Amino acid sequence: MLSKSYWWKSTLVATLAAAAWGGTFGTVVPIGGQASGVALDQPRGVLYIANFTANRIDVMSLSNNAIQTSISVAAQPSSLAVSPDDHFLVVTHFGNAAPPATSTNAVTVIDLTTSAKQTFALGSPPLGVAFGIDGLALVVTTTDFLLLDPVSGTTTELSTIAGVVAKTLPQPPASFPPNIVAATVGASADGTVIYGFSDTLLFRYDVATQTLTSGLYTSSPTLGPRAISISQDGSYFTAGWTLKDTEFYNISQFANISGALNVGTSAIDSAHHVIYAQMPPPGTLPAPTMQIVASDNLAVTNTLNLPENFGGNSVLSSDGSTLYGVSDSGVMVLPVGALNQAHQVVATQQDMVFRGNFCDRNVATQSLTIVDPGGNNTAFSISSNTTGLNVSPATGITPATITVTVDPNVFQNQQGTVVASLQIQSGQAVNVPQPVRVLINSRQPDQRGSFVDIPGTLVDLVPDPNINRARYYVLRQDQNQVLVFNSKNNTQIATLRTGNTPKGMAITFDQQYLLVGCDNSHYLNVFDLDTLQAVSPVRMFNGDYVQSVASSSNAILAVTRDAGGGNPNVHSISLITNTSSELPSLGVYTNSVPLNSVLTASTNGSSILLAGADGTVMLYDANSDTFTTSRKDFTALSGAYAASNFNLYVVGNNLLDSSGVPITQFESGTGAASGFAFVDPAAFRSTAAAASAGVQSTAPGIIERLDLTNVSNTASLATPIVEAPLLGTTTAAFTRTLAPLPDQSAIVNLTVSGVTILPPDYDAAVAPPQINTVVNAADLSSNIAPGGLITLFGTQLSPVNLASAEMPVPTALANSCLTVNGLPMPILFVSPTQVNAQMPFEAVGDVTLILRTPGGSSDNYNLLVEPNAPSIFRVPAPNNTTVPTIIRNDDGGLVTASHPIHRKANEALVIYTTGLGATSPAVPSGMPAPKNPLAVALTAPTVTLGGVSLPVLYYGLAPGEVGVYQINVSVPGSVPVGLDEPFVITQGSSSTSVGVRVVD
Amino acid sequence: MKHFLPVMFLTLVATAPAAFAQNWEVGVAGGGNFYTSQTFTNPAGNAAAKLASGFIVSAWLGNNTSGQFGGELRYDYEHSDLKLSSDGTNVSFGGAQTNAIHYDAVLRFASHEARVSPYVTAGVGIKDYSGTGKEQVFQPLSDIALLTKTSQFKPLIAVGGGVKFQIASNVQFRVELHDFMTPFPDKVIAPALGSKIGGWLSDFALMAGISFSF
Repeated sequence: MLSKSYWWKSTLVATLAAAAWGGTFGTVVPIGGQASGVALDQPRGVLYIANFTANRIDVMSLSNNAIQTSISVAAQPSSLAVSPDDHFLVVTHFGNAAPPATSTNAVTVIDLTTSAKQTFALGSPPLGVAFGIDGLALVVTTTDFLLLDPVSGTTTELSTIAGVVAKTLPQPPASFPPNIVAATVGASADGTVIYGFSDTLLFRYDVATQTLTSGLYTSSPTLGPRAISISQDGSYFTAGWTLKDTEFYNISQFANISGALNVGTSAIDSAHHVIYAQMPPPGTLPAPTMQIVASDNLAVTNTLNLPENFGGNSVLSSDGSTLYGVSDSGVMVLPVGALNQAHQVVATQQDMVFRGNFCDRNVATQSLTIVDPGGNNTAFSISSNTTGLNVSPATGITPATITVTVDPNVFQNQQGTVVASLQIQSGQAVNVPQPVRVLINSRQPDQRGSFVDIPGTLVDLVPDPNINRARYYVLRQDQNQVLVFNSKNNTQIATLRTGNTPKGMAITFDQQYLLVGCDNSHYLNVFDLDTLQAVSPVRMFNGDYVQSVASSSNAILAVTRDAGGGNPNVHSISLITNTSSELPSLGVYTNSVPLNSVLTASTNGSSILLAGADGTVMLYDANSDTFTTSRKDFTALSGAYAASNFNLYVVGNNLLDSSGVPITQFESGTGAASGFAFVDPAAFRSTAAAASAGVQSTAPGIIERLDLTNVSNTASLATPIVEAPLLGTTTAAFTRTLAPLPDQSAIVNLTVSGVTILPPDYDAAVAPPQINTVVNAADLSSNIAPGGLITLFGTQLSPVNLASAEMPVPTALANSCLTVNGLPMPILFVSPTQVNAQMPFEAVGDVTLILRTPGGSSDNYNLLVEPNAPSIFRVPAPNNTTVPTIIRNDDGGLVTASHPIHRKANEALVIYTTGLGATSPAVPSGMPAPKNPLAVALTAPTVTLGGVSLPVLYYGLAPGEVGVYQINVSVPGSVPVGLDEPFVITQGSSSTSVGVRVVD
Repeated sequence: MKHFLPVMFLTLVATAPAAFAQNWEVGVAGGGNFYTSQTFTNPAGNAAAKLASGFIVSAWLGNNTSGQFGGELRYDYEHSDLKLSSDGTNVSFGGAQTNAIHYDAVLRFASHEARVSPYVTAGVGIKDYSGTGKEQVFQPLSDIALLTKTSQFKPLIAVGGGVKFQIASNVQFRVELHDFMTPFPDKVIAPALGSKIGGWLSDFALMAGISFSF
């Protein structure tokens, strides 16, 4: 009767719950009590649920998630485990009664084949139970570790425990099993390792050797949720909000957690390298959500809405497809392997960039695609938080394309970058859609530099001192990544994974390693800069967290947050032993520094500056290997910090001498100090208007070139840059945002949108641009058609080299913008002597080009744009030659004399061209060509080879490309054989010809 | 008149066996071979071209008269590679093969029943050259010559000699050396624009084989 009663009740409640919440993932199975543990018995198709308050084991069918029966057991079943052979279920009973009542601590062994039960009294309250692969159950109590043989019912004491105190029953109302038992134990899936923890005890049990490693710990906040999950082989595990290794150091830990014991869970899926986790934040509990995070550094990949809170351990099915976890009502079942069958909504891009410029004050339009990753049709709405940024339509069903428009006139007075966002909501979607960041930049001709969009939260910037590597490194905190950029073209070339919440970087004095400290990891990440591979990390003494790190010629120092809650202090790092040691003192000063402190070393390795937000300044001298100066001349410090090779230091607006004494102050009229870099004996400094209410300034940034040869005269030349450099926050007061590259090729700034690149002579007087020649970008002939790619050759065309990978292609790049008959042209590449751009589809006939740069406007350049002007792209070949891009379809190789066309093979060819003119459907200038439908040229070309016509299979824009067309042909066997046969494309009145080799 | 001599020679060797009492022989042989090279000339530079050393297998149907004459209709297969070399730069194609059919007249210096029978051969036929490797988009020395995945027939003149050993009543073992001469296969190893090539390739093949007479 009991089972029937609960079946219909649970089904009804689950149905109602789903209807009431909508947009949540998973099913709640109420059990009429408070669950304290779950154990999976897949061969029998059931989940055992320890019903702590109802004194029974509820048995849930995995096929329909219904409680099909219950097993009555002794009071307060608190944890349970199934033997590896699925023969026994062992249940512990937490019966720690307050005197004078008698405690009923016990363990029950249930033979699942016969349903026979045996209950054995325990002398102390049990904390948990788990089976090893040897078939013995490890029962952990407050006083000892016991090995229980379920066959004989005998127990063997492995070791004793001291100092663990259990709560007594009864407890106040609204106490939950994780609050009462306050401990949990679990085993790896291969049964080789068992881990567990309580409020103070943390242990590891090696099954093969029957050895225990345990110890007492303290944690603030408390180590909640009181849930444990262990990787397949036991090499790492989650305990509360920590991800630990075999020696209990935190590989990473969740940030912003409450530590509540009875809310949340975690479950490791080793096969897919993810962890499913609910980690409630401090304060009022928000609507329950579960994060899917990376199993190495806890980077969040997805967030799902839950119908209710988890409240203890979870288990995954062996194939990782279903998660079962203790929850408020009993158990929640999440079909995580079928997540794609649930409704979700995501935008296909993190950022959208609108680059207004002085050439173009028209309304800018871009497309944003909203999809359901599972291919479902999911309703959503989208809205803008900023006036002048509009979306249409505001609602839709996935997949959908949203038109996003920006009226530049609304933003033209900003002269910087406005960071707006598009919020996506869905009543159907089970995930929490991430907003799309929209960057709207308006610039004036005197604003220098060009920014490269980098999504995410960027917190540090370091140039590679090795010129040959030509790189710089950007620290992305929200995804736990170091982004490696090629400084020659400012494109990202690699991503390095760090621990959770990386805060600061340093490069070792030998230029071999990149060090990354993380606020939520007990390890300092180390990367080999030659191979760009992670090497053994440094385990921080005492489990402290690195806030900032710097490398001198003598020592590597790190400022750490003390894991024990004490004052932050300075560690010395050894890359030989991969360990750190807390310095006994900082010279004559105690080793105690402000939490909000940073370190930076001079490039010659002679000194390290320590700056604290409370106004502390300290200097480490590499020669004497000690701190030689400690001063506190300020009540607070923030912003830029830097150390020179000539015994000068900068913190905020203050220039300090070799004793840390303030010499002078830099101006503050242009804003707060953001970045400072010594390029001895000169320096660069950047500022930005102070942020208000936590919003980054939309004013232009300022960069100043300083002459430090006479420190009493810091007259500066302030130059506005395209957008503001980043400023500090309350919790991260100091910023390192300025990095002149060692080869002096550019100055990289960490700015609102990502990085902004400035040429070293950004403030030099600029001559007006001069256009010498305009040709098509394919064969560099003068044949140009609408929609085709063109190349301008000239002088002073741009101050820097920069290629754009943005879509749509921007109409201003690196201070250069180009118009044809007043119409802005999409620009793909700029350099001082060459600009590549797309001729707008609207431009035809006699047209006039004008290029505008900060140096002024070019003279008018008049040219004729034909309706059609086919030109075959050339690619470089050996010996400084080029070959046309005619591709053999059989192997994808270029047609060359040594890779000829075979006439007897009925070969198909693809020819990449530009200049085929207008298409149907029309494609806006600067936009990539669609894949479906294909954009076919309005005028069909003819193609001949050796005078023989080739069947033309397709002629139109190449999908995904801007201004690039392709023609597909097949080669009949009747074409003549020859070493240099004419291959001719004719379209309208224009034609182009190249010679190709044809063989049998 | 251009084809007169080979035609006359074929006529002679084809009719000669009919004038004598004869027996038949089938055999197979295998061995190694190497080619001589020819030189491409080009204003950009010169390059030696040939087929690389490889292996050869051969099969034949022969007839022997009681006198000193005989004849063999032979098929030869060679596995090799196309090669170019110039100023320390060596280029290969990754594979080539040839197939040849030729009829050789045989002049023995002992009766065919003798235990040891030296002989010389001469004949004509046809040889097919095929590049079987992978064409490279950018092939080194492509400004001089081009290694090509194509086939080309060339007339063949074969000369050779060897020694045949009677190792059983109807079984013979032979060791022989041949030179298979053809004009240079200029479509398989083709001249680039401005290059010139000509002359003949000699293909020396050393083989050992076994045959059965009946």
